[in-house]
Amino acid sequence: MILARHAEALLWTGRYLERAESTSRCLNYAADSITHLRSDEARAEGELLVRTLGLQEELEAVGPLESRPQLVAFLLSDTDNPGSVVSAVTAVRENLRRVRDRIPIEMWEEANGLYLRFPFLGHANAAPSNLHEVLLMVRRACQAISGILNEGMRRDEGHAFVVIGRMLERSIFTVGLLEASHADSRGVMDATRMLRLTSSLQAYHRQHGNAPDFDGVVRYLLRAPDLPRSVLACLGRAEESLTGLGSTASALDRPRRKAGLLRARLELGEVTDAMDSAPVPTLAGFMNELAGLAADVQAGIVPPLAMASVRSQYVRPGRAGEGAR
Amino acid sequence: MVDLLPEQGSGLLDRYQPGGAFDEAFDADGAVRGPYRRIVERFRELDIDEVKRLENLVADEFRRQGITFTVYSEEEGTERIWPMDLFPRIIAAAEWDELSRGLSQRVAAMNCFLADLYNGGGQAIADGVVPRWLVVSSQGFERNAVGIRVPHSAHCNIAGIDVVRAADGRYRVLEDNLRSPSGISYVIENRAAMAKACSWLFYDHPVEPTEQYGRMLRSTLESMAPDGRDSPHIVVLTPGIFNSAYFEHAFLARSMGVELVEGRDLVVDDHTVYSRTIEGLVKVDVIYRRIDDDFLDPVAFRPDSTLGVPGLLGALRAGTVTVCNAMGNGVVDDKAVYPYVPELIRYYLGAEPIIDNVTTYTMWDPDQRAEALARLDQLVAKPVGESGGYGVLIGPHATEQELDQARATIEAEPRDWIVQELVHLSTLPSFAEDRLEPRHLDLRPFVLTGERTQVFPGGLTRVAMRRGSLIVNSSQGGGSKDTWVLAPETP
Repeated sequence: MILARHAEALLWTGRYLERAESTSRCLNYAADSITHLRSDEARAEGELLVRTLGLQEELEAVGPLESRPQLVAFLLSDTDNPGSVVSAVTAVRENLRRVRDRIPIEMWEEANGLYLRFPFLGHANAAPSNLHEVLLMVRRACQAISGILNEGMRRDEGHAFVVIGRMLERSIFTVGLLEASHADSRGVMDATRMLRLTSSLQAYHRQHGNAPDFDGVVRYLLRAPDLPRSVLACLGRAEESLTGLGSTASALDRPRRKAGLLRARLELGEVTDAMDSAPVPTLAGFMNELAGLAADVQAGIVPPLAMASVRSQYVRPGRAGEGAR
Repeated sequence: MVDLLPEQGSGLLDRYQPGGAFDEAFDADGAVRGPYRRIVERFRELDIDEVKRLENLVADEFRRQGITFTVYSEEEGTERIWPMDLFPRIIAAAEWDELSRGLSQRVAAMNCFLADLYNGGGQAIADGVVPRWLVVSSQGFERNAVGIRVPHSAHCNIAGIDVVRAADGRYRVLEDNLRSPSGISYVIENRAAMAKACSWLFYDHPVEPTEQYGRMLRSTLESMAPDGRDSPHIVVLTPGIFNSAYFEHAFLARSMGVELVEGRDLVVDDHTVYSRTIEGLVKVDVIYRRIDDDFLDPVAFRPDSTLGVPGLLGALRAGTVTVCNAMGNGVVDDKAVYPYVPELIRYYLGAEPIIDNVTTYTMWDPDQRAEALARLDQLVAKPVGESGGYGVLIGPHATEQELDQARATIEAEPRDWIVQELVHLSTLPSFAEDRLEPRHLDLRPFVLTGERTQVFPGGLTRVAMRRGSLIVNSSQGGGSKDTWVLAPETP
């Protein structure tokens, strides 16, 4: 038995945890390749990164990217940008704080410790000189929290909701990356880059050799059953967790069925077949379905009571049609 | 064989001068008191660099866990790391035994009074033990609580009684906290931090453990279930994450293994309280509330409260749920009622108080007022409705202007003030820069009452961090100490 509010906080802990990690990974990679934003290519790469993360609207509020520090600050420390690393880490901490009576103490300590280690807290728009160190710290802390979740938390409803949140967010990120890559007319986002941004390069090389091709990587990231970051694997885990909850919470039957349906469509090749003729619309459509799934999970958790004030903090930027608004 | 100051060692205790107050660790001749003999030896082995290292270790531990408290200034609240001094307070077994009997006695009498007041027709008032006008004019008196049944007549399930040790070495009760006394989580975290940083200190001391508090509290709350039902559904009701004591609320829920809920997680239907879970509504039997009476039910009390549960009062009246502590306990928290507690002990229990009050002058009595105001420069004036040390005037530290202003205020509103003899709180070595110096302290033990009464061993020792200061409240710059109750020696 879990309070609806706690379930929601844990779901969003999972989502923000994944978001902090994936944004850190993207920014780490981009910071290596984008040494300045003077060239069109570099600017295009910066904009592609923003699109991948679904932050176009937030960037519009800031203005066009004109310098590398501006890009770094926007994605790392801008507290007005709800998609920045610091915003995601803050949200993880705040959500865990709401449920600290039911999570392992170490999980809270790790999240709190990460938040307190940010050297630029209170200094929005700061771009630290030790960027890689900071980003590594974020990724390691996120992985530590995941480790504690897996090894130290009882397999109860709370655990299930963190997993569901992570898997949904990861699916959305991967599909967003593929969508942005297909829409990228300049060819900035090549196959290797997609694999790096999803921490899948080594796994791909072991399985398929050292010469990744674009279409093969797209299929790999969508359908590889044994790759933890593939959309298929993520939907499978989300479905499994929803199935575990379904026995007690009938309102979660609908998202469970939807997760199963999306997984089956990937598994049977329906999505990749459709992409042969219209990749971008197909991926955009799939993204909308994922957003609908997230909305159904949210609706299944929250009983009919006014939680608008809570929900408002959870709006994911730049994702048309996404739930939890 | 006694140790005398000064002593060979690191110099931390060189020049330690206990001063005029009772010192917990050293007697007037500088000899170490029995319970402190070994700890003083251990601290003499330390140098200041090691102390600083240990202090940092403790602070890091508190920071990592987010063990903080909030200081509210006029403009905003500031979150600070919980301050703990490394030199522990030690209470010998026999001394604790007497103290805990005195605390149990006091809480029992106050529970009798609350039960009498809200469910017994007010016999103590009728018999003139406490003036009726004083009770009904108390902000803590809650008319809505009259007639609400309370299991075991235990209105106060969790009490925090502030005690001090005066210059004569005897404990006195300074204040009763029967609404939502806080601080127990800091007691337990202080011990955990001490055990991590200075585990070697415990080797030669049989210290009573503290980790059983969750079990004690849970059993107390379980015994408060309506109609004595088995395996009751217990929740802790918190105002939310922005409350200064949120850490404690989460700590208590975790240590009992129950849900921490906010008002919006609860709903009342047909005079029954339910929690909103993903499985639907689940009936709640016992609510350990950490919000004030005024905010409990916006239908019955403050309509602007978003913290409470609409309809909760109706559920209480129907007897389907128990709220702990009960509504209306604030009447005994009222400092104006405090002077009558010794008489309540005699009235209900037929016994003399084991722990005395601090000598208190009631300002609504013209003779006592005249006497107190004449020598206000030697006394302490306290507003009856404040807590946390706010509004207190310490006569010897006040200017003539402040004293005159206080006299005028008291003359204008005598019901709102009490005046007490100044108690030179006892002192204990505490770290100040590079050595140990005497600092004043008090103690807040916790008493749990349900089907039976249990006194948690030890309590929150609060210490004034500035030399000579008598204000120990953390909100005003005070710190804390780990409190050790020694187990009885086995023959």
